[in-house]
Amino acid sequence: MKQQKKKSNLMPFVIIGVVLIAVIGVVAVGTGLIGAGLWFASKDTSTKPVSSTSNVPTQKPNYANAPAGAPIGVNMTGSTTATVTVEEFADFQCGGCAAAHPIMNEVKAAYAGNKNFRFIFRHLPLAIPAHDKSFSAALATEAAGFQGKFWQFQDLLFRNQSSWTSNPNYLQIWEEYASSIGMDVARFRSDMDGSVAKQRVDADIMRARGLAVTSTPTVLVNGTVVPATTAAVRTAVDAAIQQAASSSAANAVAPAANSATK
Amino acid sequence: MTDDEKSLEDVLESPGWAPIIASLISLVGLFDSVYLTVKHYSGEPVPCSLVEGCEMVLTSPYAEIAGVPLAALGAAAYFAAFSFSIMTAFGNRSFWKLFGVQSVLMAAFSIWLLYLQGFVIEAFCQFCLISAGSSIALFLTYLASKLTFRK
Repeated sequence: MKQQKKKSNLMPFVIIGVVLIAVIGVVAVGTGLIGAGLWFASKDTSTKPVSSTSNVPTQKPNYANAPAGAPIGVNMTGSTTATVTVEEFADFQCGGCAAAHPIMNEVKAAYAGNKNFRFIFRHLPLAIPAHDKSFSAALATEAAGFQGKFWQFQDLLFRNQSSWTSNPNYLQIWEEYASSIGMDVARFRSDMDGSVAKQRVDADIMRARGLAVTSTPTVLVNGTVVPATTAAVRTAVDAAIQQAASSSAANAVAPAANSATK
Repeated sequence: MTDDEKSLEDVLESPGWAPIIASLISLVGLFDSVYLTVKHYSGEPVPCSLVEGCEMVLTSPYAEIAGVPLAALGAAAYFAAFSFSIMTAFGNRSFWKLFGVQSVLMAAFSIWLLYLQGFVIEAFCQFCLISAGSSIALFLTYLASKLTFRK
């Protein structure tokens, strides 16, 4: 009887302890204190081929059938024939997207010149009151793209987000940005109001809807959503490149084996 | 009457079911706050979505106190609330008074944070709303326990 009472006296401490350990575990894994090792160990493909049954999140089921989005052009960097596509859906008034911007630049720089890699930027201006200039910012970036300044203008918008996002004279600020990177401001203004820029932004929004992407930034690596961190994106890209290499090697071996048996 | 038996008065004055409910609500608030704390320290951008402006709230100057994210302070508060309610549920009723004081403070602080979101930042974050809801629910649970069991 006494022993039973002792047990019940300990029970609250056991429950509290279990919850505390769970919290510490979640924080440690979430912040990468112990998770990074596990993450990379689970993705270590140096000694074994990447298998489709690995714990890499699966591709969005509607990826192949989703609307194509704006035709690929100035919104892409890398090789047009790349086997690995990183696609970022972003909104220029989104603080998270501004935070992810240098991360995406790091990723692009890491694979610069790699013929297996390409990066595509997609517009997803969120229709919420706090993002009242997002759609216009997307149009402005497209207008800059018509003058070959898509990435420079995008960079200016993200880096200076706090300067224009709450400023009623934001259009004037954007024109100053356009001028600072050598754009024809009059043409920039008319392209922003034109239908081509709008069609491109609308097409990206349709693609986002088709893929059920509702938040920004959303980063897809060959159709699989990955966290917008350098480590996560690079790990996914490396795995996809290796997977593509394994597939092409297997395809090359199969005909050779067939011809040897003849 | 033995030590193990409780008088009718004891039962009526005990918080009864309330600590169990409070511990479950605390867990919701705790894991919500832990999620935001992890997002803060991992540097992973908090996504913007079609229904709210979470990133505006979480990147505002009000998201930290002396460099410590509010989410981490919230996690500590919810863990304390969880501990107090579990201790009470197992018969240590003095912890319920501590829980009561804490729930009043947490609810008051949450109402101030709701005011900031609605009138200063002018954007709402669903994770912050979950936390505010949890804090207010903790206070209401305490209040209900007092009204129900105190004669």
